[in-house]
Amino acid sequence: MLGNVNLNYRRIGLQAAFWLVMLLLLMSILLNFVNLSNTNQLSAYDDDWNDMSAFRQDIKDMGIQTSSLVSSPLLLADIEDPRNTTYILAGVERDTLSLPQFDSDGFITIAAEDGYSPSEIEAIVEFVDAGGTALVLEDYGFAGSIAQAYGVRYTGYQLYDTTYVQELDYNYVWMCVQATPCGMNGSIIDPETISVHERWSGSNGEGAHPCSLMNGQTMPLEDAGLCAQHWKNGEIQYNATYQLLLNNITALELIPGVDGALNEVSIRAVTSNEATVDVNGDGEIWVGNEQTAETPDLWGQFNLSIEACARKSCDPNEGGRIVFMADGSALINAIYDYEGFNDPENPLYGSNDCVTSNEKCIPENDNRKWAKDFIAEALMSTVPGEEGQPAENAMVIFDESRHPQNALFADSYNTIYFLLVYFTGEGLAMLLLFLVLFITFEAVLIKKRDPEPWRHVFSIIYYGFGDANRYTYYAKTDKIRQVFLSKVRNQNGLSREEFHAMPARELVSLINDPVLAKFAIEPTKYSLEQTVAVVKRIKAWGRT
Amino acid sequence: MWTRKASFTFTGGIALILIGMMIANLQMMILGISFIAFIVVNSWISGHGDVEVQRTLSADNLYKGDDLYVELLVTNRSNRNTQLLEVYDNIPHEMKLRSGLNQMRLNLRPGESARIRYVLRCPLRGHYSIGPVSLRSRNTFNLGVDEMYVDHHSDIVIFPQIKEVEEAFLRSRTPKMYTGATTLRTPGQGSEFYSLREYVPGDPFKNINWKAFARTGELMVNEKCRDAVTDLYILLDSRDIARIGTVLKNPLEMGTVSAASLAAFFLKRRDSVALAIFDDNLSYLPPDTGDKQYFKILSALAGVSPKGAMPLQAVTNSLSGRFSRGSPVFIISSCEGDGTVPAAVRDLVGRGHEVTVLSPSSIDFERLVSRIPRMSYEVLKLERQNRLTTLAGSGAMVIDWMPDMDLSQALMQVRGY
Repeated sequence: MLGNVNLNYRRIGLQAAFWLVMLLLLMSILLNFVNLSNTNQLSAYDDDWNDMSAFRQDIKDMGIQTSSLVSSPLLLADIEDPRNTTYILAGVERDTLSLPQFDSDGFITIAAEDGYSPSEIEAIVEFVDAGGTALVLEDYGFAGSIAQAYGVRYTGYQLYDTTYVQELDYNYVWMCVQATPCGMNGSIIDPETISVHERWSGSNGEGAHPCSLMNGQTMPLEDAGLCAQHWKNGEIQYNATYQLLLNNITALELIPGVDGALNEVSIRAVTSNEATVDVNGDGEIWVGNEQTAETPDLWGQFNLSIEACARKSCDPNEGGRIVFMADGSALINAIYDYEGFNDPENPLYGSNDCVTSNEKCIPENDNRKWAKDFIAEALMSTVPGEEGQPAENAMVIFDESRHPQNALFADSYNTIYFLLVYFTGEGLAMLLLFLVLFITFEAVLIKKRDPEPWRHVFSIIYYGFGDANRYTYYAKTDKIRQVFLSKVRNQNGLSREEFHAMPARELVSLINDPVLAKFAIEPTKYSLEQTVAVVKRIKAWGRT
Repeated sequence: MWTRKASFTFTGGIALILIGMMIANLQMMILGISFIAFIVVNSWISGHGDVEVQRTLSADNLYKGDDLYVELLVTNRSNRNTQLLEVYDNIPHEMKLRSGLNQMRLNLRPGESARIRYVLRCPLRGHYSIGPVSLRSRNTFNLGVDEMYVDHHSDIVIFPQIKEVEEAFLRSRTPKMYTGATTLRTPGQGSEFYSLREYVPGDPFKNINWKAFARTGELMVNEKCRDAVTDLYILLDSRDIARIGTVLKNPLEMGTVSAASLAAFFLKRRDSVALAIFDDNLSYLPPDTGDKQYFKILSALAGVSPKGAMPLQAVTNSLSGRFSRGSPVFIISSCEGDGTVPAAVRDLVGRGHEVTVLSPSSIDFERLVSRIPRMSYEVLKLERQNRLTTLAGSGAMVIDWMPDMDLSQALMQVRGY
C-alpha cells in the first residue's frame, strides 16, 4: 500500500523542467536588483573611504540613536516621533522595483522611473510635513522624483567650477554655504568672499542655528553636547561659515511654476558665476551666449544646495524641512574625516596617494562641522534646561534601501523586505494581498485533506462477461438452421461428409417433421413468433 | 505532513501578521506570530513509528472458505513514547474481516507491546500476502501526521475447496477402472519385491542385493512392484473464456474445485494423479502419489487465473505421449471457443484412454451476469448440446455441469450421449 511507489519518470521530468524554468526566471528578475559586484558605496554601515561610517559614528557619539532603512521609505509612515527624526538619503544607486499601485487619481500606475515610487515619495513628504527633517545628498542617481515633489530638479549633468581644489583636480569643488558665491585666490578660497550661512547666522532675523544661541556660553566640552564642534577654549564659539568640499557634482534647479510640498524654498549655496555644466557629457565644455549644437553646454551660476521648510524660520517645531545637496559624496569618510584619511601614521580608510606619497591629500574642510550642525538643529532638545542636548527620541535614519549590498542574501533579504512593506503599505498591493490570502484560505479549505481513516474494504465484485454481440447472431434463422442440421447429423451419427452428400429427400425422412423439414430445406423468411415456435420444436425434436 | 488544522493555523497566522502590518495593529501581529510559534513548537513534540512488528498466522495454507486467525504483536523499540500511533495491518481486499479489527490506536511506552487479533475469512482461492503494516503517528494537537510502514509480509495460499466424491459416482463403462489400490505386476517405484536383475550403471546402491552378489559373484539389484494402480490425468481448461460468470461461480472456479476434489479422491486411493493446466501456455505436473503431490496440485490450482486461448488439441498432442496406456483422462473444460476439442478427445479415445469430459455450462454461468434473450439462449444451449453430443459420439463420457449443481451430483450424470 504505502510501499508501492510507482515512479512516473515522465511526470518527474516535466516537473523538474518546469521548476528549472521558474528558477531561471526568478534568477533573471532578482539579478536586476542584486548587485553581486562589490561596488556599493555611500553606506553608513560600511567603512571604506567612500562610505559614511565616520558620520554615523559621530552621530552615535552625540548620543543619538541611528538606524537603517533597508526596505522602503514607506516605513517612515510608522515613525512615532518625526519631529525628532532625521532621514538621510545619500546616493540613490539603484532604481525601485516597478510594481503596480494606485496613483493620486485612483488609477493603477506602474512606477517606472527615478528611484522611488509615488507611495514612497508620499511617505517622505508626509514624514517631513509631520515635522521630520530630511537630507538628500545626490548627484546623478535616482533621487530626482523626491526633489520634484518640492519643486526642485537635479540637472544630472556634471558641473565644473573655478572654485576647485587645484591640488586634487577639477572634480573637487568648494561649496560655500552662503547667499553669495565665494571665489578663489590662487589655490585657496579668497577669505574676502567668505560669508556666513544665511539662516543659521541669524542674519535674516529668524531661523538661527541653536548653537548660535549658545554662543559665548562657558561650559566644559562634555556639556557642549550637539554644539561640541563649536567648543573652543572653554566656551561655545559659534561660527556660521561653511566651506564644504564636494566631488563630481551636478546642479540643482528650481522648477519654474511648480509649487512644492513646502512653501519656503531657499537656495543655500551656489557656484561662482563662471561655473559650467557639461550638458552633452563629452567631457569638454563648449559654451556660448546661446545653447546651440556647437555650444551645447551651459555656463553661469548654478545652485548647489536648496532648503525647503514649512515656515520661513525653518523651526522644526513648526514643521519639517528638507535639504537637497548636489553631491552624493559630501559626507564620505575621505572628505568628512579627511584627517583620518590623510593620516600617514594610521590611515583609517586604507592606503591612498596622500598616505604613500603625500600627494592628493584631502584639504581641510567644514563638511563635518556642517553635518553636525545640521543634525544639531534638527535633533536638539527644546526642553528648557536641556539646551545643547539631543532630544529624548532623537534618531537618525539612513536610507540603505537603494544601496546594493555585498552579500547576495543581504540583497535578497532587502528585496523580500521591500516586497513585504510594499504589500502591507500600498493600497493596490494590499488589495492584492487580501485577494491572495482569501484564495489561499479557499485553497486550504478545498485542497487540504486530512489522511483518510484506514478501513478494510472487502471487495470481490468481479464479473466475467461473454460476448453479448453474439446474442443477435444466435437469433438469426440461418444460425438456427445450422444448429438444427448439426443436431440432425449428430443424432444420426453421420460424419460431415456423409451428411453433406445426403439427398434432400433422405434428409426430410430423417427429420420426420414437416415443419422442421421445411425449415431445414427451404430458406424462407420467418417472423419472430414462427422462429420461436421452430426453436421450441427443434428443442423437442429427437427426444422420442 | 501537516493536517488541515495545522494548515489553517499557519495560513491564519500569516494572514494575521500581514493584516496586522497593513492596519498597524500590533495585537493582531502578535496573535499571528503566536499561531506560527504554536505550530513550530508543536512540531518538536512529534511521535514516532520506531516499532517492531511480528505477525502470527493460524495457518500458512487454507482451503477456500476457511477462517484465518491473525495476531500482530507491536513493540515500541525506541526509548520514548510513541505518542498517538495508528497501526493498520494491510490485508487483501478479497479477504473478509470476520471478527476483531486489523487496526488499533496505541500509545506505547518504551519497550511496551500490544497485540492486535482478528479473524479473516478467505472466500477466494489464490496466493495472498498480508502486510505491510502501516503506521500513522500524530503529534499532540493533531497538527502533524507522519505515515510510514513496516515492510513485514506473511504469505498465505488459499487452496480450492475439496468436495466429497463418492466412489459410486465414478463408475465407468470399464469395470476394472478405479478399483482401488492393487499392486500392478510391473516394475516401478513401490515397496513389494518384484524380481532380481543385473546391475546396470545408474542403479542406486541401496537397491543392490548383496546376498545375491555373494552368492553369484555378480552385482544384482532388487526390483519393486509399482504400488499405484492407476495414473489419472486431469486436464484443466484455464483459458480466458473460463472467466465467464461471477467471481465465485464461473467455469474456472468450478473446474479448480472439481480438479482438487478428484485429485484428493484418487490420491487418497494411492493412485497417481497428473495435472495439466492450459491457458496461454501449458503447465504440467507429472503423475505422482502421496501428500507431496497433493500439495503440489493444490498449490498449482490456487494460482490459476484465466488467460490465453490454448487449444485442447495442442495440449493432448504435447502430452499424450507421456500418458500411461489406458489411463483415465479427465478433461475439465466448458468446451467453448475451441474447435479442436472433438478431435483431441477422439485422439485420446483412439489411444485407449478412458476420457471423461466434465464441462461446466458456460452459457448458464453467463446467464448469471448477463441478460441473454431467451431465444438466443435456447439456440446457444442447442449448440452446446450438439458439441457435447459430438464428444460423446467420439467415445468420451460427458458431464454437463450446471452452475447450481454439486460436484458429486454432476458426476452422477456421467453418460455417453
